[in-house]
Amino acid sequence: MAATDRFDAIVIGSGVSGGWAAKELTEKGLRVLMVDRGRMVEHGEDYPFDGKSAYEIPARGKMPAALAKSDYFALNGWVSPATQPFFINDRLNPYDYDAPNKFNWVRPSVVGGKSLTWGRWSFRWSQADFEANKREGVGTDWPIRYDDVAPWYSYVENYIGVSGGRENLPYLPDSEFMPPFPMNVAEKWLKERLESEFPGRKLINARLSNITEDKPEQNRTRCQKRAQCDRGCSFGAYFSTQAVTLPAARATGRLTLRSDSWVTNLEYDPAQKRVTGVRMVDANTGQVEVVQARMVFLCASAMSSLHILLNSRPAGSERSYFHSNGALGSAVMDHIFRVGVAGDIPGMSEFVEYGRRPGGVYVPRFRNLEAEDLPFKRGYGFQGAAGRQASAPKGFGLSMKHGMREYGPWRFTMSAFGECLPYDDNRVMLNHSKTDRFGTPLLRFDVRFRDNEIRMMDDALEQGMLMLRKAGLTNVTGGRGKHVPGEAIHEMGGARMGHDPATSVLNKWNQAHDAANLFITDGAQMASVSCVNPSLTFMAMTARAADHAVKQMRAGLI
Amino acid sequence: MDRRIALASIVGMLGANIFAPLARAIAYQPNPVINTGAPEIVFTPAQRALVTALSERILPTSDTPGAIAAGVPEYIEHMLGDWAIADERATIFEGLAAIDTRSIADYGKPAVKASAAQQDALLTLAMNGELSGGAPFFEAFRQLVITGYYTSEIGITQEREYLPVPGEYDGAYPYAKVKRIFSS
Repeated sequence: MAATDRFDAIVIGSGVSGGWAAKELTEKGLRVLMVDRGRMVEHGEDYPFDGKSAYEIPARGKMPAALAKSDYFALNGWVSPATQPFFINDRLNPYDYDAPNKFNWVRPSVVGGKSLTWGRWSFRWSQADFEANKREGVGTDWPIRYDDVAPWYSYVENYIGVSGGRENLPYLPDSEFMPPFPMNVAEKWLKERLESEFPGRKLINARLSNITEDKPEQNRTRCQKRAQCDRGCSFGAYFSTQAVTLPAARATGRLTLRSDSWVTNLEYDPAQKRVTGVRMVDANTGQVEVVQARMVFLCASAMSSLHILLNSRPAGSERSYFHSNGALGSAVMDHIFRVGVAGDIPGMSEFVEYGRRPGGVYVPRFRNLEAEDLPFKRGYGFQGAAGRQASAPKGFGLSMKHGMREYGPWRFTMSAFGECLPYDDNRVMLNHSKTDRFGTPLLRFDVRFRDNEIRMMDDALEQGMLMLRKAGLTNVTGGRGKHVPGEAIHEMGGARMGHDPATSVLNKWNQAHDAANLFITDGAQMASVSCVNPSLTFMAMTARAADHAVKQMRAGLI
Repeated sequence: MDRRIALASIVGMLGANIFAPLARAIAYQPNPVINTGAPEIVFTPAQRALVTALSERILPTSDTPGAIAAGVPEYIEHMLGDWAIADERATIFEGLAAIDTRSIADYGKPAVKASAAQQDALLTLAMNGELSGGAPFFEAFRQLVITGYYTSEIGITQEREYLPVPGEYDGAYPYAKVKRIFSS
């Protein structure tokens, strides 16, 4: 491919945000090049373990510990042989941090990015989420509010299909829902008990980008209750680039998709304040190329987008073109994670579950919704489910074997996701003394949780166990592990949106203050992170930014 | 000569058991492949025979096949060969040796030749910590047998009922209708 002007736009990255950018821009008539550093994965045919049973997966689904530690250390033991093909090899693609401030940077290695392996929990932000920074004087204010995004939430939800139940909660706005995955008998019991013991707290259906009704116009079939989403789903029952946005973009005839293309940096004209090219390296041949287009959507995933921006610098300079105000790379966040509680739900032993749902129930945030005297700001929600496992008799032999033919009691487990505050000195930067195999300085993390996050984790553990105990569960257990930032795989921030070009990187349309033809719509844009799962917001913001970008282009402003 | 070829040419000097990180560097590929073929051999024939016999005592044949039919001994060797590190293998090797030593003392024959009841007695001693290294061996070995069995085709589809594509979800399905509990 020669460096020509045959593209109106280049989309860097093909995950949740990149796929949406490609869909929207091509459908609005633009000729789009979408590039991804990962290998090509075609829907269905490149899901090697879709539909396979445990005995058909290498090592029965257990990753050799030494291999996980040496080659997939960011996943901290979560990678399995069935999902390994979708993740990057950390040993061959290192990043940098000081040992006390470890960061687990989980990265995909495929077209589709993390949309293939994501958790699929999908929530709207609330008005209070957008207002929180300003109200508390923390970080920088968002230049947008709920009403700016609400129509775009509806737009993407209607397209992708989000299952859930209407609740009319001001702090967790409803989506355009398909019917929810139902609660099981034990969860219904818990809902009644918990909501009567704790007025104001709720236990609601999971909100998931798994469809419960067919979408024949998209060749997608409703969820078949297999609970093996992260291997890829040939039914197209959950949102992924492959199942949803890539087919739409391809159908326009205006998409060029290039896999195995590592973008190292953007070329930039400081006089015109425009991005003038995207430099990429072919991962297989090492060939370098600079491709040009009128505009660029940077959707490489939050930290990778920051890496590309930080490495976009004048020859001989260690300072990025986009680092004029010091905001680039600062206020990196993740969600708190690693707090879990569990307990046995008494009774209902005459019922079991048939089928395997892709998600269970949610306890929305209940802390600091109104003025509360708590030793921390913001809040957290719990994701959980009740189920019955086989009994676990002790010993061995026939009595054990036949004892394992019975179900044990209903057991409910849930874990917290909570909001991390933006701290300007939680940042990423380049380490100019170490380079990767493409000659790019490694991305260096200096990110750690502070008192607010630690206190929130303590509170989540205490409240989680209290709720289960008071609801009447037995054998209640709980734990709060050490949370290494990045482990929630909700890393965000570093190129935040803001009113003021002196303290932010993007304007309210996701457009770079320093380049009118550069839009960043992945997690890097976030000025705060709410406590809900972020991907649905990335989708809505991407569609909104694409609409604005095309209008500006048509008006001759880009 | 590129680095990969250079490394490969060193193989002959290192012998068969190349230190794992070096072996992976030689067989460079972006996504290392997990061995799904024959397990790396870690047991002597005598150890393998004893592992086979004891795994069947942990999960015996009844109205459904037992550990041997489900391929559990091969699974264990696979896990120890491709999965475990030396210390973890030693737990198994030392436990097998302790059981054999006790069997010779009590029954005058190696454990593999002992009767089923005698093997059960030996396993019980290990379980109760009455053999040197017995308790950690029993716990590890029991886990390996259970995991190997309930992730095997027999464990998933015969001992339990497998729903590859349930299609529906019922959160109040009558237990009375369940003949064998569902594989997860």
